[in-house]
Formats: sequence, C-alpha cells, structure tokens
Amino acid sequence: MTRELDCRGLVCPAPVMQVRDLLAQEKPPAIAVLVDNEPARENVSRFLIHQGYQAASERLGSDFRVTGIAGDGACPVMSEAEISAVAGDAPKKILVMVASDRLGHGDDTLGAGLLLNFLKTLKEMGPELWRLVFVNGGVKLTAQGAATVPILQKLAEGGVSILVCGTCLDHFQLLDKKEVGETTNMLDIVTSLQVADRVINL
Amino acid sequence: MSETLTRLTRTVKGAGCAAKLPPGDLDRALCGLDLPVDDNLLVGLERADDAGVYRISDDLALVQTLDFFPPMVDDPFSFGRIAAANALSDVYAMGGTPKTAMNIVAFPAKTLDLAVLRQIIEGGLHALREAGVVLVGGHTIDDPELKYGLAVTGFIHPQRILTKKRLRAGDQLLLTKPLGTGIICTAIKAGMAGSEVTARVISNMAALNREAAEVMSSFAISACTDITGFGFLGHLAEMVVDSGLGVRINAAALPHYPEALEWAAMGLLPAGAFHNRTFRGAFVDFAPAVPSVVRDLLFDPQTSGGLLLAVAAEQAAALQHALLARGIAAACLVGEVVKEPQEKIQVV
Repeated sequence: MTRELDCRGLVCPAPVMQVRDLLAQEKPPAIAVLVDNEPARENVSRFLIHQGYQAASERLGSDFRVTGIAGDGACPVMSEAEISAVAGDAPKKILVMVASDRLGHGDDTLGAGLLLNFLKTLKEMGPELWRLVFVNGGVKLTAQGAATVPILQKLAEGGVSILVCGTCLDHFQLLDKKEVGETTNMLDIVTSLQVADRVINL
Repeated sequence: MSETLTRLTRTVKGAGCAAKLPPGDLDRALCGLDLPVDDNLLVGLERADDAGVYRISDDLALVQTLDFFPPMVDDPFSFGRIAAANALSDVYAMGGTPKTAMNIVAFPAKTLDLAVLRQIIEGGLHALREAGVVLVGGHTIDDPELKYGLAVTGFIHPQRILTKKRLRAGDQLLLTKPLGTGIICTAIKAGMAGSEVTARVISNMAALNREAAEVMSSFAISACTDITGFGFLGHLAEMVVDSGLGVRINAAALPHYPEALEWAAMGLLPAGAFHNRTFRGAFVDFAPAVPSVVRDLLFDPQTSGGLLLAVAAEQAAALQHALLARGIAAACLVGEVVKEPQEKIQVV
C-alpha cells in the first residue's frame, strides 16, 4: 500500500523533514509525496533515493507527485541518534594539538622519534580520536619527506580530521609541500578547541 | 520562549541570502524605470554592482549599500554578526572603507522576546566595532517574520573603485571563503547539522571580508565581487556578462564545506539554489566529469560569502600567500579568465 503525504504549501527544507520524520517511524514499501514547488520536488526525490527508494515524479496541474518504491537492499532509515552521529555529535571528541615536530625537551633526535611513535600509536584511541591540529613546527610533520606523512594519511583515511595551520605552512615555505590534512586558519582552530570534549596538548 | 530562542530559523520561511527574490524577477520589475541622472553617480543601479558610488570631490566618493534577511542560524547574537558582516562586505568588495551604518529591523514582537532583538543588535555592533564602523541609527517595524540587516556607507577614492567589470584575459580568479553555506544552513534548519559544523559555518559567515580587502589593495586586482545570494556562478556570471571574455573554473580547486556535498545529495538544497540554476544554467558548460553535487554547490546561495578576485597571473601566487599569511585559509586559486569561448563559464 502506498503511504501518502501532502507537503503542499511547504518550502524547503520542510518537505524533506516531513518525509524523514515519516520514514523514521515506519518504512512503507511505497510512498507518494505531494508538493507544490520545483525545489521541493527535486529535494524530496533526492532524499528518497538517498534512503534507498527508487524515485519518480509527475506533474499534477501546478503540483508534483513524487513517488518512491523501496528498492532491494534499501539502506535503512537513520534514527535521530544516527543522524546526529553523522552530523558530528559523536559521544566524545578528542582533539590533539601538535605544536612542534618533537615530543618533549632533552634530545631532539629522541624527541623526533618519540613523536613518530606517538602518532603511530594514536590510532589506539579508537573512534574517539576526532581531530589533529598542527601548528608552528608541527606543520613540518604533514609535508613532503616527513616519515609521519603515511601515518597521518592512514589516520585521515580512517576518518580522523587533520587541520594544518596555513600561516605556519607559509612561514616555513611548505604551502606547496603539504601532503596530508586541510589547510586551516586560527578561527577554525579556536572553534575546534571550543567544541572538542577533550584537548591533548603536545 | 526557550523553544523560539533555540530555533530562530524555524520561525521564518527563507534563510539568509537564500531568501533573495529570484534573479531575473528583479530585472523584470526594474526594467525600463526612469532613473534620476547625476554626473556624480559613478556606479548606480544600471551597473548592478555590489554597492553604489557617489562622487563628492575629485578625491572622495561615498560608497553605499544595504542588505537584510531572515535568520539563517538559531543563535540571535551570531545572526546579528553575520548580517552585519554580510552588509559590510559589499563596501569591501568595491575597495572602499566602511564608516557608518544604520540598522533595519523587522521584529515579531508578539511572538519573540525583546531580549532576542537586543542580542541580534549586539551581534551587529560586535561586527561594526571590528570593522571600525559607527552605528548612527536605524528603523524597526513590527512584522510577523524576523529580519535584520544594515545600510552601510563608506569612503572610497573615485579613481580606485573596484567593480565587477574589468576582467583581463589571463587573470587568475581567487576565492576567499568556502562554498556551501546555503546547504549547511538548510541542514541547520532541518535539525540535521551537528554542533561542530554549525560552529564552523557561523565562524566563517561572521568573519569580515576586511582583511582580504586590505591584502588585495596592494595587488593588481582587475575586478572584484562578493559571493552572496546568487551563488558562485551567479556572481561570476555578472563579471563575465559583456566582458567579451570567458572563464574556466577548476572544480577540484573550489574551497567548500565537505558536509555540503553530502547534504546536497540528501535533498537539503535551499530553494534559492534551484532559482540560481534556472537563471544562469545556460551560461555555464560543465565538463561531464563534474559531479552533480559540485554543480549544486556552485549554484548554492551564500550568506556572507567570500570575495572573488581577478588578479594579474604573475601576482596570483603572491596574493594567495599573502592571504594565507593573514589567516584566510580558504584562499584558493579557482580558475582563469580566457579569450574563448566568450561570455561563457566553463567548469572543468
């Protein structure tokens, strides 16, 4: 049976929100959504496709009827918790601030080796490891030739966000040599520190 | 009351610059109007530039602009800051220095607490202080839908006005803020954006274009505009129209919010993105390899977006370095001005 939803009179993103709320409660094998504007038609189609439905739409006078039929292996509808997890509200966020290319003081060769080992072992934190921020001499660890680059690339592939201070890269003339992470500014760094649940300073 | 405090965006239909009247509609409404003439009006309505410029003397002109819109974020103070940064931006985009501002407020006094209004104005003042601009007054009406913005006046030298209109073949194009604020704000409105991305987009929208404008003043800039409601391609098209030149954009180089691509695929595009695409779609040739969500990003209406600069090719790298050194991390070279095809935007 086709589940009907009337979203006429609503503008984006309201129709998508209504469809989302409906799909979160029940997963009808077929759904038909009435909308009265072109943006809503396209957005609702996209949302249904994203949720694993096969979507089609037809014009009915000045309205549109968007239909979705559950496909094989439809991806499950996300719950509110899952949505906020995707959106970045994971339970805990650990940020590691790397302000040097050495770990500690005493012997620089030892310090460089220790930091390499530290970054290698960092993955043991698991999914709570959220973001690495590289500033000052730390940015050298993200540039061409550094032994740390493959380790950081692996972390990035695993979903850890890596921010690299643009001013610092410029200072060390490494702007073209950065091989991992996103170039960032102080505003992003300050915001990151503000929203992180825990900050580890090196 | 706490519900309305935390969900300002749910009280309005449009959001930020996405609430602009669709491009084209305004042209139709204003077409053929008999405008007063004055030789001292150096940049007026018919030029459709970022701000108007009126000459006072041989070495001084006024630059004037006005912007207002419904809230695109839920925090009143942030909304005020963003609205002011967005209004000031038009003066920076002309190469001017903002000096005075006046508030424009539509406030639903029956449904929202006056404390909200105070926080919005405080947010606006925060941005004005940062810009070195004084508030000289304002006007507030009772209205069912909240809107806030400012009229800003600045100074500019009549010989140093930066318009959208002097592209040179070979110029490099540089953009100073990431794209995707319209999509992110739609996700905020839909309750699907997390706190981290919300904080990041607010920071960027509240950031003044002042520093970028200061940096560009010592480079050979041929044209400049700020990216707002008509989206990257809409504002770029205004630069290209009647220039006798074309531009080639490198899609992979565009600074953007990664989340915006994901949410565009999910159907969280603001209506303004569709209007922009309808209006300027024919102007743009996309290479087949450019993903559809990247095309969406390019039509996404921006609130308080970055400056788009055309700079002499030999100075492009130095300009980018200078911007990065001032902490403008998104500064990216995104394309170049080409001789052929004329009056076209190619996205490759």
